[in-house]
Amino acid sequence: MPHLPNSPTAKPNYSSVWVAFVLLGISAINTQAKIAITVPQQVSLSANFSTQQLSISWLGGEATTFDLIILRTEFNETVFYDTVSAVLNQDGGQHQWTWTSVEPLECTSLSLKVRSREGKTISEWSEPQILEGRDLPNSVKSMFPQDRTVPVGANTTFCCIVQEGKDFKSILYGSTVMNVKRLSRRSYATTAVNQNISGNSGTNVVCLSNDPSSLTGTVIFVGYPPLLSKFECETRDLIIAECQWEEGRSTNLYRKNATRYSVNERDCPERRRCTLSQWDGNWTLLAVNPLGQYSLTDSAEVSHRVHPVAPVKLTPVAHAWNATVLWEWAYSSYSSLALVCQVELASHNTMLGNFSGVGLRSAVLLDLQPDEEYKVQVRCGSQKNFWKWGDWSKALSFKTKPYVPDAPDVWMWMNRDNTGLVVWKPLTRRQSHGQIVGYKVTLWNSEENEQHTEILSPESKVLPVNLTRWASFSGDNKVIATVIAKNVEGMSQPASVLLHLIDDEPPALAQTVYTSTGFPLSWQHNDNSTCGYLVEWCNALCTRDCPVDWIRLDAGNTNISVQSADFQPGVRYNFSLYSCPSDFPVLTHRWQGYMQELAPSSSVRLEITQQGCDVVLTWEEIPLAGRRGFLLGYNVYISNGSHLTRLANLDLGTRTYTKKGLSVSIHKFTVKAYTSAGEDTGGTASIRLESCDGLILEILASLGMVTFLLATVAYFCYKKRRWVKKAFYPDIPEPKLPGDWFRTQGPLDVKPPPHSMVHIIEKPERDSSKDSLVVIPEEEEDDGEGIGDEPVDTDEPQLLRYYNQVVDERPIRPRFPDSSVSSSSSVDSANTDVTYTGIQTSCSSLVFLSDSQCSSEGFQPHTGFSVSSGDRGGGYQPQMQPVALGGNLASPEPLVEPQVVSSGGYKPQSSWLLDSPTETDEKISPPPSLGSPTSVASTQFLLPDSEEHEEERRQPSSLAAAWFTNLLSSAKP
Amino acid sequence: RKKENFPPDVSDGPLVSVPPPSSQLDTRDKLWRLHSALEQCHSLLERAIAKEEEELGGEEKGEYENRRKTVKDRLLFLLNHTRELLRAADGSSIFTPSLDGSELDDPATLFQLKWWVYRIFMEVKYWSQTAIAVLQELQSDTAKTPSKLSKRSARR
Repeated sequence: MPHLPNSPTAKPNYSSVWVAFVLLGISAINTQAKIAITVPQQVSLSANFSTQQLSISWLGGEATTFDLIILRTEFNETVFYDTVSAVLNQDGGQHQWTWTSVEPLECTSLSLKVRSREGKTISEWSEPQILEGRDLPNSVKSMFPQDRTVPVGANTTFCCIVQEGKDFKSILYGSTVMNVKRLSRRSYATTAVNQNISGNSGTNVVCLSNDPSSLTGTVIFVGYPPLLSKFECETRDLIIAECQWEEGRSTNLYRKNATRYSVNERDCPERRRCTLSQWDGNWTLLAVNPLGQYSLTDSAEVSHRVHPVAPVKLTPVAHAWNATVLWEWAYSSYSSLALVCQVELASHNTMLGNFSGVGLRSAVLLDLQPDEEYKVQVRCGSQKNFWKWGDWSKALSFKTKPYVPDAPDVWMWMNRDNTGLVVWKPLTRRQSHGQIVGYKVTLWNSEENEQHTEILSPESKVLPVNLTRWASFSGDNKVIATVIAKNVEGMSQPASVLLHLIDDEPPALAQTVYTSTGFPLSWQHNDNSTCGYLVEWCNALCTRDCPVDWIRLDAGNTNISVQSADFQPGVRYNFSLYSCPSDFPVLTHRWQGYMQELAPSSSVRLEITQQGCDVVLTWEEIPLAGRRGFLLGYNVYISNGSHLTRLANLDLGTRTYTKKGLSVSIHKFTVKAYTSAGEDTGGTASIRLESCDGLILEILASLGMVTFLLATVAYFCYKKRRWVKKAFYPDIPEPKLPGDWFRTQGPLDVKPPPHSMVHIIEKPERDSSKDSLVVIPEEEEDDGEGIGDEPVDTDEPQLLRYYNQVVDERPIRPRFPDSSVSSSSSVDSANTDVTYTGIQTSCSSLVFLSDSQCSSEGFQPHTGFSVSSGDRGGGYQPQMQPVALGGNLASPEPLVEPQVVSSGGYKPQSSWLLDSPTETDEKISPPPSLGSPTSVASTQFLLPDSEEHEEERRQPSSLAAAWFTNLLSSAKP
Repeated sequence: RKKENFPPDVSDGPLVSVPPPSSQLDTRDKLWRLHSALEQCHSLLERAIAKEEEELGGEEKGEYENRRKTVKDRLLFLLNHTRELLRAADGSSIFTPSLDGSELDDPATLFQLKWWVYRIFMEVKYWSQTAIAVLQELQSDTAKTPSKLSKRSARR
């Protein structure tokens, strides 16, 4: 520090020095900053077109951060602009930075500039460096990138450079037209995003321009990097290592892009396996393709990875029941290796057997079948530290030697005439132990010690027997049949069966229903029995020399499900269970069943007859062969045009049906039997129903009799017409009225007392005692109905009906011309059934008025019971109410108007008294009067008593007889 | 074309180089022209197959490879027949034109290879159809004048 003089003038100099220092410091700082922020020098570019990377290096002085800007030269568009921390290369002192372009670097020219940055202090930009693209003026049409390989899902930008003077049209990715961005005057780009896996030959990307004479494009492969699994090494000869692996996923890349494999840096030409000349113990598999690489490792001792080769030169040594297989090894090193070997023996089925030993070279096979073809294979593995089974040897075939056959399974079928069959099951290949050359059958009568022997061919399986031919045979004798099979090696053990008729009283047949496992049969086991069982079955249709099948069961079995390939649908099978079949067979149970029930195949034979007016159908049972199932019943149909109408459903026991009420016509009937599976086609019969002659004859006879009776009556009436006139139509006398009929004047209060009856006085000359009209009260009768307002001169309707009934039912009716009009008018009356005959001029039984007054001044008929007399007002007014008897009419004093006398209306009726004392006695009303007004032409009582009426209703025929009797009696002089 | 999605309206120049068709050509010249084209087609096809196998061949042969072989065999059959016809007509050795040098350059990229193979198949198709027409014309001429071809051949 300089030394300064101590003077009073020095004070102002201190402050100026201080200012000078500050200024100097600021100046120094500014000078230092200008020195550190230098413009980057020697900027250079290095392009990697395949990776689309641009390496930039420059000399940047002391700066640690730099601004980089990359522009498309032609359009001066910024592609990249950022501040980066570049790596300082210690060797050359250069900064380096790598930029990866989205677009291929060939697409267009790029300009790059760099400047240094320290905080907010920046240098000037360096001189621009240009990376030339392929869109130069003299370049041809082209497309980038070419033959690129990318992973699935990647994005790839393609660019197309069109020729000078040509116009760009479009870019196709496969068949997809892409969106395009223009990079320069001649360069166009598009980006395929999230690309899918490509085809075997890659995906074409085509650039189209207006130049049709050339096509520009590129191919892109989209695939996966390698992915491997299950890498392991093993040895076959205990020296060489063989390594294998699997591809976890196809890379979809082939040829130049295919995956390359290496194990322990030794190339593997094959895709999934590699052989190494020595056992390294540790292995590394490396798989590489353009999209990446994958590695796996494995390590093991050689004794733990022995995978034996296949045994060779197999040789058999065969016997009847066993054989020995010998083999050799390709490598001598196996002689000291502990091996476990698997022998596969195949004939009808396949069996595996394991054998072990050091350097194993043979195996003994036991439990073989004689005269049987076998095929054997062998493979081995390391017994200690077992790794995996080796390869199977080639198959070796051999045949065991034959042996004597097994005893055949013998059974019998006996007919009821002591003939039958000895049957046996043909020996199978496994039972015959060689070619069967024949059978020897011996029949032996144990009682007589007599025997017959027959030699039969190998195809035989049955021998008919006729025990009756044996002179000494009786039903109690035992004959035993013995069958022996014979082959080239010798004869079998004998198989015997006792021949005798078993089913003297066969058990009842039970039904068994077929299931998926067969016919289920079950029975109770006899604890005392130690015998086995035999179940026999055959077609139920068979009755003689039946081809039976059977199965034997051990003692203790109580059920079986019988199954056979011979069972047919719609066929009934009989099953029989025998106990002790070998010693003394006893039939214990029987069943029958169908494998599958079908509708009957045949129909009933229908017979049809006419019985009277009915039709009777009869039919017989369907034969067993045609039933094809258990019959459940019959359906009876009548044919109605084209369809059948069911008339009845009959049970199985009913085979007749009577149809009644059919019309005279042709009728067609069908009867169908049915099983659980349905109906048969039906038996059909027709009948022409004839008319029922008996009924018609009866009707004709009745009509004839009636006609004869009418003719007789008519003839009688004609002959006796004078008498008839006197009896039924006499001259009407003038009424003679007792007492003073004309005492009271004025309108008649027509309210006759109940039960009063008009006593009709006959003509005086006929009966003087009855020449006056008398009102007879009937006090004993008390119906109590219609009293008071009821019209007079009426009677009970029951009585009136009775009258009508009598008249109507009688074929003979008095015919009087004078009374016919009145009678008919009465019959036409709407509200009463009364028939009045023979009364010509009377208006009322009690009121005698002139014709003109009958309807106006006299009794007014009740509207509900009006009796029509038509225009003939002077006619007889019928009684209306049967019980309206009361009031004034009950008075014994008759009320008669004077006019009535002069009027000729009323004619006294001939008074009829029943001659029959019985009828008279039964009447409640006083005997002198029948209580009924009677027409002069009528021979009937108009108003009989109700009891009488009831009685007569019950006996119309007796009444008719009485009437006829009266008629005859009256006709007497 | 459909498999590779090539645009339908683009066609580069022909690969087979023969004299242009003319009405002045007689039947033998047409036959010679046809034979020359078929010879070039066959040569191109063999090269294309070889190149295709090199660049695009896979381990497994599919329907395309089988059909390609069928086309090649039939083309060879047709080529042999036209050669025999020419020999019968002329008796001299057959001049086989060499392919243009530029066409011998292998395609540089896979896309060019595909496009080139496709164009070769189009040439084969075209010249096969031409062969049908020429042979039918030859047959009709032979029917009209059975000895015409031999006489004209002798005159040459």
